[in-house]
Amino acid sequence: MTVERDELGFEAPAPLGHPARKGLPAGHEVGPRVGEPLPDFALPDQNGRIVRFHEDRAGARAAVVFYRSVVW
Amino acid sequence: MTQLVELRDAYEKFEAQGIRLYAISYDDGRVLREFSENYQIPYSLLSDLDSEVIRAYGVENAQLDESDGLLYGLPYPGTFVSDEDGVVVEKFFHDSYKKRDSAEVLIDSAIGRVLLDASEPVATGGSDEIRLQVSLHGGNGILKQGAQRRVVVRFDLQEGLHIYGEPVPEGMVPVTIVVNGPEGLVVGDPILPPTRPLRLEGLDLDLLVWSGCVDLQVPVYAISELASECRPLEQDSVQLEVVVRYQACDDRACLLPREETLHLDVPVDVVDVPSLPLHMGHGQREAFMDAKPHMIRLLRRKMLRYPLRGLSYMVKTARLELAARWRRMRS
Repeated sequence: MTVERDELGFEAPAPLGHPARKGLPAGHEVGPRVGEPLPDFALPDQNGRIVRFHEDRAGARAAVVFYRSVVW
Repeated sequence: MTQLVELRDAYEKFEAQGIRLYAISYDDGRVLREFSENYQIPYSLLSDLDSEVIRAYGVENAQLDESDGLLYGLPYPGTFVSDEDGVVVEKFFHDSYKKRDSAEVLIDSAIGRVLLDASEPVATGGSDEIRLQVSLHGGNGILKQGAQRRVVVRFDLQEGLHIYGEPVPEGMVPVTIVVNGPEGLVVGDPILPPTRPLRLEGLDLDLLVWSGCVDLQVPVYAISELASECRPLEQDSVQLEVVVRYQACDDRACLLPREETLHLDVPVDVVDVPSLPLHMGHGQREAFMDAKPHMIRLLRRKMLRYPLRGLSYMVKTARLELAARWRRMRS
């Protein structure tokens, strides 16, 4: 795989224009805004336990991290 | 992966501040379990297999569709930090998927102040009245490709003294910070706490000031000249120069303006990469779990659902690869 550098100065083992390199367009906002509530969700964790977000955090502050994958 | 490992390393700090941590991806439970066991992940890795939560949150990468094969359903990587009521207090999304925020910056955002860590590179200056400290904050102050760190300039001002935010009347000196570093260090715009207004009646002046203990931050990160995931590092540490200009006054008189230059010796590290041929052999920290079986499962899951589009993905990426090789031959 060819290594190419993008306009922001990052290199990746994928050609420019590859869909895996498509980042958030500058100035584009996604997701709930500051001041808005985070939607609830229920998802299984790595141990198969269903985690219900707001019930699980039980009134604690939280960081919800969206990431791409641990596979690749 | 790098970010997940850094979050693990900072987990006790999240706990100490009462912040719950959730990480969401479209990975299946099997790989999350194996990754969690191998890397001793103490927080929730949640499996959003069909990207339903990713969509419900509105963070799906809208530039991808079924014709992008295994990539369809990816989120834009980023983080929401909420208060006790579940309301967003800050969100961290960037124009490149290579940019990831430090765990410590997320913690700061949740608690509303900068919590420096003893492991971070630090330099001190100032005087008895104005204590000045400069640190590289986040990820133990180690620079890595795309990892967002912050140069924190902390003023601790004797009672009665203040320093100035912009704008200032002519002749007065606001605080300015300039961060210089090696090629490949990107320096962002300063992040400043709110100033408070101060009116000097005798001089008929309205000013914006900071007093007490105040943290001014400058985001920095490394791009490919300094740290690339595709090459071994050329240097394992670099020096950052931080030039701080300021003038401190009380309500009656001003001290002379000062300019101080402080230096931080900062380690540089490679990133953690999955053990796939694509990422291996580039001098990075390769995972000690075999990603191939999981990749095959992911390919099956995504490509079999949209077989024709999977084929078009392969054609599309092959074309892009050929174009890249053509560019390389011509350059």
